[in-house]
Amino acid sequence: MIQDFITIIQDYWLLLLIGQYPNGPLGGLANTLILSALAIALAFPVSILMALARLSKWWFLRWPMTALVYVTRGVPLLMLILWCYFVIPLWTGADVPSFLIMLVTLVIYQGAFLSEVVRAGIVSLGQGQMDAARALGHGYMGAMRFVILPQALYNMIPSMISTFVSTIKDTTLGYVINVPDLTFAASQVNNQLLTQPFQVFLILAVVYYILCWSLTYVANRVERRIARRRAGPRNARLPAEAAPLKTITEQL
Amino acid sequence: MSTSVSEPQAAPAIRIADVCKSYGDYQVLKNINAEVARGEVVVICGPSGSGKSTLIRTVNRLEEISGGGISFEGQDIHAPMRASELNKLRSRIGFVFQSFNLFPHLSVVENVSMSPIRVKGVAADVAHDKALKLLDRVGLADKANSYPGQLSGGQQQRVAIARALAMEPPVMLFDEPTSALDPEMVGEVLSVMKSLAAEGMTMLCVTHEMGFARDVADRIWFIDAGEILETAPPEEFFKNPRHPRAQRFLADLRH
Repeated sequence: MIQDFITIIQDYWLLLLIGQYPNGPLGGLANTLILSALAIALAFPVSILMALARLSKWWFLRWPMTALVYVTRGVPLLMLILWCYFVIPLWTGADVPSFLIMLVTLVIYQGAFLSEVVRAGIVSLGQGQMDAARALGHGYMGAMRFVILPQALYNMIPSMISTFVSTIKDTTLGYVINVPDLTFAASQVNNQLLTQPFQVFLILAVVYYILCWSLTYVANRVERRIARRRAGPRNARLPAEAAPLKTITEQL
Repeated sequence: MSTSVSEPQAAPAIRIADVCKSYGDYQVLKNINAEVARGEVVVICGPSGSGKSTLIRTVNRLEEISGGGISFEGQDIHAPMRASELNKLRSRIGFVFQSFNLFPHLSVVENVSMSPIRVKGVAADVAHDKALKLLDRVGLADKANSYPGQLSGGQQQRVAIARALAMEPPVMLFDEPTSALDPEMVGEVLSVMKSLAAEGMTMLCVTHEMGFARDVADRIWFIDAGEILETAPPEEFFKNPRHPRAQRFLADLRH
């Protein structure tokens, strides 16, 4: 049994790691990581813009964005993927690679979720910070840039890492539109071996678990550190300070 | 010296004319008329819920008004104007909040120097030196590199005063600056305010500190149910208030 695992890893580690590259498209774990990293890197600024639009005093920004966020959060990701897979080529008239479609879908989906975190972060600061900035003569954008967002985003770091974790897990759904990621590679291995699905998919599960668990661990460490710093040295040992942040992370 | 006196110089620091404000049917401010002369210290007092805080927040347009006008050095601050113009006016009116509202992500010295740098375009090192001087003036030079979370309430409020002063405003507004403080910290904030008044700063303060009003104010506005019922110099106001509601207010304070 153990021997099976070792043999599979010995024979297929390169396929699992980078897919068919350089003879075919980049795939495997490398592609999973690239896709997740790009998705979160793009979803982050998108989520800030979405949150600002949702808090805008102008209805023509607020209403469509609120609708988009509600719809996105209210449908399964798989639906959204299929939707983009069929609609984007229809709109653009071009043959869009599945990697790009998956990326766009993830950016919209995670952007919508993160935008709620950003919005909560901004709202939870209360009106006082905005008032103080305005009273000193800062404009809306200046107040956001120098006062509101630095605080809201700093508090958001653990949630961002959690979103990164869920993005990694979400990339597996790219399988249905043939995105060559780690899951895709594992399924190729399974198709070649035919007799050892349990072993192959256990290896897959272990790789995802290690990846996600270590990031969750980092998130928890960062979270505790932020809570400690925010409490200030005077009450550094009050554990209660950690509680509110934790709940935000766990919602995702 | 030019013989013709230009309008802004002649205008009072703040002129409030026929100001009304309502939330739906509820009228918070009813036809307020008042003036603050340059160099004058005015204390607004009155029972809670009388509209004091709302009034002072309309002076730098943190609150909109429903009617009337407020001019600051001759400029109507509630007139339709571009956001950048309003920001410029606001930057010249210092405002101190009841809840301090320091920026918790910035150190004390950064709290004080940030707005001169970002709003007025002052060079960072110049603003930093100025901030240190202001902190020294409010007795907190040694806390320059601390964060607001590490300070007591009284210290935070003194930083907030320094932060407002950093913009070099000709007028300072105080909205119940000592109401959120523990009793033993009220004195340190009031003494900073007293020294400001002694230097000739134009001040408009909402406060429940009647001792401060008596010692420092040039004039008291008594406000109840959204109306200014009496304006008088403190000695007159405290000795024989004319309006029955002012008499009752002062009697309640003595109990």
